Amino acid sequence: MVGKNCFAIASDRRLGVQLQTIATDFQRIYKVHDRLFLGLSGLATDAQTLYQRLVFRHKLYQLREERDMKPETFANLVSAILYEKRFGPYFCQPVIAGLGDEDKPFICTMDSIGAKELAKDFVVAGTASESLYGACESMFKEGMEPEELFETVSQALLSSVDRDCLSGWGGHVYVV
Amino acid sequence: MVKPAKGTTTLAFIFKEGVMVAADSRASMGGYISSQSVKKIIEINPYMLGTMAGGAADCQFWHRNLGTKCRLHELANKRRISVTGASKLLANILYSYRGMGLSVGTMIAGWDETGPGLYYVDNEGGRLKGMRFSVGSGSPYAYGVLDNGYAFFFFYRYDMSVEEAAELARRAIYHATFRDGASGGVASVYYVGPNGWKKLSGDDVGELHYRYYPVMPSTVEQEMVEVTGA
Repeated sequence: MVGKNCFAIASDRRLGVQLQTIATDFQRIYKVHDRLFLGLSGLATDAQTLYQRLVFRHKLYQLREERDMKPETFANLVSAILYEKRFGPYFCQPVIAGLGDEDKPFICTMDSIGAKELAKDFVVAGTASESLYGACESMFKEGMEPEELFETVSQALLSSVDRDCLSGWGGHVYVV
Repeated sequence: MVKPAKGTTTLAFIFKEGVMVAADSRASMGGYISSQSVKKIIEINPYMLGTMAGGAADCQFWHRNLGTKCRLHELANKRRISVTGASKLLANILYSYRGMGLSVGTMIAGWDETGPGLYYVDNEGGRLKGMRFSVGSGSPYAYGVLDNGYAFFFFYRYDMSVEEAAELARRAIYHATFRDGASGGVASVYYVGPNGWKKLSGDDVGELHYRYYPVMPSTVEQEMVEVTGA
């Protein structure tokens, strides 16, 4: 979710196999660099592999360009890597959030074969995505400060996962 | 094609003092939680309880229907119907609707002249008499706790006290709601004794989690801290 010169990215903490809960402290949000975070929902093994491949590509980029990747560029990279597997896809929906030039927040999400969806306010992914759309739509305000953004994102996340059997067990929230 | 399990956890067991019946309160439609406050323990009459697993409408309707038939039996025979008789009435009704898509996995628990009684009845017409049952998608986890206990003090013994049995039932439901995504909400515990049934407790399983596993304050639990790495 986008705020005033900041963004927040949040995820739940449950790892499950259909109805059975396997873990209650699973990390889904990864830091690519200080101003770029990636959340990966869906199949856990694909999320981990995808993250490892993206970190590898980003490190190469850092060596060549001697700077961090811009969020828009990173989104393009994720989209391309997902489309490479068009006929045997990664079962993941990424949520990308970063601060671009002049601290302008950038967020986007994709489906599992790389269709980018840019938004100015919020993006959601996961089994409770329909619930999340509703919660975010009603709770979102333009230009929130970091503290208020944190509250909004947390409440939207918690109220949505409370209505989903496959999500829950608390949340991780990162505000940048 | 694998038949989808009924998304719930209910359990009942007989012990020296009577029958302990417990259930969660979550209703799920696929992945969506439609309610966290469903009454899954149905009061058929003041000395008999039925548990709900499967279709909510099916269970509610047929339990109420069973209550009507039990009352008619009382009036016609001038004595209360036994748990055996009541469960047989229900099983025969469900058998006659076999194959029509009813979804009922229920336990009939009560106290009659022969003492405590517990029967498992389902929509395929099955009827089993037993001492311990658990029904629903969370039942394997509940059986794990019920059969072996979570600590030395509360494993299943016939001669438990009412408080010990209630705590065992509550713990079993809690552990099932922990692992099973289709169970959750409130863990209700009912006791059926010689004077009829009595509701003992209804605890939110989230609160039970922190009661059984209290959070130790650690450096991670701080607000808005600089996170060095993800």
